[in-house]
Amino acid sequence: MDKVKGQTGSFFGAIGGFFKEFGTAVANGDIFVKLSLIWMGAGYCRRKQFIKSILITLFEIAVIAFTFGFAMDYVPKFATLGTVQQESVFNVVTMKNEFNDYDHSFMILLFSLISFVVWAIFAVVYLNNIINNYKLQKMEQEGKHIKTFKEDLISFLNEKFHITLLALPVSGVVAFTLVPLLVLILVAFTNYDQQHMPPSALFTWVGFRNFRDLFGNGGLTVTFGYAFVRVLAWTLVWAVFATFTTYIGGILLSILINDKKTKFPKMWRTLFIITIAVPQFVSLLLVKNFFGNSGIVNTFCANIGLTDWLRSMGLIGTSYIPFLSAPGWAHAMIILINVWVGVPYQMLIATGVLMNIPTEQLESARIDGATPRQIFWKITMPYMLFITGPALVTDFVKNINNFNVIYLLTANVFVTTNQAMANSQAKEVDLLVTWLYTLTQDYYNYKMASTIGIVVFIICAVFTLISFNRFIKGDREEAYR
Amino acid sequence: MKVKKLAALLLAGTMTLSLAACGNPEVANDTPASDAPAAEAPAQEAAESQEVQKAEAPAEKQDVSLRMWGAEEDQAMLQDMINSFEENYKDYANFDIQLGVESESTAKDTVLTDIEAAADVYALASDQLIDLVKAGALQPIDDMDGALQAYAGKSVADIKSANAEGSVAASTYDGKLYAFPMSADNGYFLFYDANVLSEEDVASWDSLLAKAGEAGKKVGMTFASGWYNASFFYGAGFTTDLNEDGSTSIDFNGSADCSGVEVVQAMLDIASNGAFAAVPDGDISNQIASGGLCAAVSGTWDATAAQDAFGDGYAATKLPTFNAGGKEIQQGSVAGYKLVAVNAYSQNAGWAALLADWITNEENQAIRFEKREIGPSNNNVAASDAVAANVAIAALAEQSAYGVVQNVGGNFWDPAATFGEMIAQGQIARDDEAAIQTALDTMVEGITAPIQ
Amino acid sequence: MNKRFVNIVLRHLLLAFLAFIWLIPIVWLLVTSFSAYTGINTSTFFPQEWSLQNYKNLLFSADSVAQFPNWFKNTFIVACCSCVISSAFVLMVAYATSCMRFKMRKPLMNMAVIMNLFPGFLSMIAVYFILRTLNLTNNHWGLVLVYSASSGLGYLIAKGFLDTVPVSLREAAYLDGASEAKIFWSVVLPMSQPIIVYTVISSFLAPWMDFIFAKMILNAGVSSQWTVAIGLFNMLDRSLINTYFTQFCAGGVLVSIPISVLFVIMQKFYVEGVTGGSVKG
Repeated sequence: MDKVKGQTGSFFGAIGGFFKEFGTAVANGDIFVKLSLIWMGAGYCRRKQFIKSILITLFEIAVIAFTFGFAMDYVPKFATLGTVQQESVFNVVTMKNEFNDYDHSFMILLFSLISFVVWAIFAVVYLNNIINNYKLQKMEQEGKHIKTFKEDLISFLNEKFHITLLALPVSGVVAFTLVPLLVLILVAFTNYDQQHMPPSALFTWVGFRNFRDLFGNGGLTVTFGYAFVRVLAWTLVWAVFATFTTYIGGILLSILINDKKTKFPKMWRTLFIITIAVPQFVSLLLVKNFFGNSGIVNTFCANIGLTDWLRSMGLIGTSYIPFLSAPGWAHAMIILINVWVGVPYQMLIATGVLMNIPTEQLESARIDGATPRQIFWKITMPYMLFITGPALVTDFVKNINNFNVIYLLTANVFVTTNQAMANSQAKEVDLLVTWLYTLTQDYYNYKMASTIGIVVFIICAVFTLISFNRFIKGDREEAYR
Repeated sequence: MKVKKLAALLLAGTMTLSLAACGNPEVANDTPASDAPAAEAPAQEAAESQEVQKAEAPAEKQDVSLRMWGAEEDQAMLQDMINSFEENYKDYANFDIQLGVESESTAKDTVLTDIEAAADVYALASDQLIDLVKAGALQPIDDMDGALQAYAGKSVADIKSANAEGSVAASTYDGKLYAFPMSADNGYFLFYDANVLSEEDVASWDSLLAKAGEAGKKVGMTFASGWYNASFFYGAGFTTDLNEDGSTSIDFNGSADCSGVEVVQAMLDIASNGAFAAVPDGDISNQIASGGLCAAVSGTWDATAAQDAFGDGYAATKLPTFNAGGKEIQQGSVAGYKLVAVNAYSQNAGWAALLADWITNEENQAIRFEKREIGPSNNNVAASDAVAANVAIAALAEQSAYGVVQNVGGNFWDPAATFGEMIAQGQIARDDEAAIQTALDTMVEGITAPIQ
Repeated sequence: MNKRFVNIVLRHLLLAFLAFIWLIPIVWLLVTSFSAYTGINTSTFFPQEWSLQNYKNLLFSADSVAQFPNWFKNTFIVACCSCVISSAFVLMVAYATSCMRFKMRKPLMNMAVIMNLFPGFLSMIAVYFILRTLNLTNNHWGLVLVYSASSGLGYLIAKGFLDTVPVSLREAAYLDGASEAKIFWSVVLPMSQPIIVYTVISSFLAPWMDFIFAKMILNAGVSSQWTVAIGLFNMLDRSLINTYFTQFCAGGVLVSIPISVLFVIMQKFYVEGVTGGSVKG
């Protein structure tokens, strides 16, 4: 935790330094630096960097156009999320509905947010621009060489190559992950639900009321706390099992296949990889039917007498084996089926990583007379863990949010017999995400889904940040170089 | 009267908006009925056309583009209907109608994601109507009265009287009509194999199960769904209702014709019978097709599967009676309909309403029955000999006397499904009345929970 | 010697057993796709009657339910585009975070971890409205964007791999006067074949698997626009399953073919990547 704190501290320190630099630049800069406060290209123009000047001016114009052509339609309404309710009158002559100029709360929320992001980016560029101009001024005063445009471009392939590399991926993430996430967070502070669905109705800010409702007065429903704890527990159990069974399974399988004693490793690998080639939703829906209450496995078990035997043992109370339709059975089956789905993937990764094990280490260990088991535990595993450690953490998080496997295997098949769970629209096999899916998809309760989403996120974030920082912190990153 | 009103409307319209498709004020004059387009539905009664007037073809035709959604299986038939629609109204507008696929059972989910991008006209199952109305997604048909009178030659009142009372009730919310009834077949009844079971056998669950047991076959019904299992309660006079705030009121834990506990005991008797198969929701078609059943509770969508499985023994009838508290009680059912609605955000709401009317009018309901054996909601079509001769639709009609429109909120489904599954798995002891009462109370508590 | 022989036999028996288990559902998929009965066969593993009808229907007589050739084409295009973009993004981010040092590196990496934690579909509706604003709904480019725009977040595995590339190699290149871009292109990338293969495969697969996002974005109900996943998923609708289950299986088989081909081709590179690795080691 201290490390995390230290990091945030230095992060804010850096921001403080940035503003200080800006202050100095404005105070000490010449007239052209000061002019850059209004016309961003002024300083560059003075230093004869004309192309740069034109580019930054175009950027400035674009942002201004964006602000007055788009953002100002939405941002002023951000405080209320709209006040004009949709109304329409049918005109029998034109055969059309005539609408008033109504507000769409969600659009206001979304577009305001996009505007804020754009402005934030502009602010950073703007401040940086002044600082750069001041630097250029000083360089000119000291008679240093000022880079030409071509040299600037080349620097983007060298010391600034990371900017070139990251520009597109980061903007993609901002547009398609960051902004939607911020929307999601903001929705938790509104009353966006079935009674307040745009475009016909407006929703508005309600402060922390949703969070209060979640944990105060008995929660969302009477049994909400009961269901929440159980769903959370199964989510964690599932994530742990799903991650480690497939991880270890994949490594073992890859070692088994890639061993020198195994003939035709390529053929074996292909056999397992075929299961990846079938899209997950096809194979999972198929397996669901395979293990259905009246599915083929049940027919088979009934024919060989297994079903009757289990009945006589009192392990099942139904005339079929409830592979995917009773708690316990379903939990175990889901994890097993996930092994089936996940191991080939992990095998692929493990193979890739194992191929890159420094061979001299293995050789010297062998010469020193280490047994294969010792080599596995002392060299292979630490190496694997080092390389795939961060991936293991991401896998864990992915499994917490693993919607597909649970949904495809249990939707429409699993009916809970626990009334307390049912009264909160939950099932024993639900992960938090599948539960949230039900809340949004069947009940349009976006505000509560977002609220729960944030709570879940906080739980995950604490866990992950700690372990992630452990895994990649410090000098370990350089250990195997 | 109607003529005057229409003239006033048209005049008001032309004065406020001078548009290309300028309405002709002379439309108010006595235009002879023979001016109506030739392709007009032949079923249109002569008496009716004397009363209403048709709008004249405008000098400049409007360009109207519409999108329509219908079920996957109906696509070819719907395309034909669109073609006949375009043909019928070709004098009034240039149409560009695009047909898309959206199952009636999932229309609500897709529409509510983004109402403004949804199709102008779409088919839906009647249980989705209230949610859609509350989200403001549906155009009230009452507002379309003028358009319908001007172009289709009928009023909203005509539509209401042409269709079965239940279907109109299911399309109405708060006194307003929100959709055009399309079919009256979204309910369930009993399919059976007449080679195994006689008409007397299927009259009650006791004899049905006894006979099926002798034959070594099973009787299938879905218990784990509030749509099916409420039928026992509805039969015994229990009710559900939807409140203004979206929550549900329900009295299953009290007593009506008999006590709720006795209904549950009757269900437990059925479920524990060796000849009964509790089928997971949605799996019944597959179960019928696989041949282990000699009778099954399902709807017209399984008629083909039942026909294939039962062969010449294929038969259908109303649901049996069940024994609760020493009385034989007729099992009720949920009467569901399929409707065609108009998007409130449609760019061409008027023509969308006319299209919706067109594909649900008498002629097209007859076509729908002819091609897809879909039970009509139109009274005239329902009364035709061909419909009466259809085994499944006749059984549905027979059952409809005991059907209710299921008005419930979102919180109903999960607790009700769980309750059914508990009975199906025999998790409650039949003789433990206190436990049954507790379970009923818990279910009712979950169902009546306020909507957050 | 004898013990060693037993060991080898046992090892292969175990592999055969595992492969058997892994392949049962796949074989079932395959045989069911050749079944003449169109519903779900619950009594026997192999169909009672064999037929090629399902493939014939799927490929040559497209009806409104099954427009497989169209779906296949759509998905293939979307998959190729998003595969190229996401692979590039992942490798770019991985190189920047693994091989370069800059001020915002750690904060960015932590941000990435945080963003991966949120359940993605909760923000689906926001993504949808962003696309609608850009007029990209019911458009395959919209789908490509959804699948690839945020792919940079999945850089961790690739970064882990690049971390193992010896620093000395890059340093030698620096001394020769190579630029960062040149090192990225001609030193690091050629050594990263296994991880490129992995990235390409996983990003190529996403469009074949996803039906939730796809259904939301292609919401006009025009079935010829659909991807394979929506189309096949739709066949399992309550009213269609008994007529289309075996076509669903046939569709599943047909989809697996290009993916399998991809795997087989990639395996070749895989081995090359492996030898490259041992040379450098």
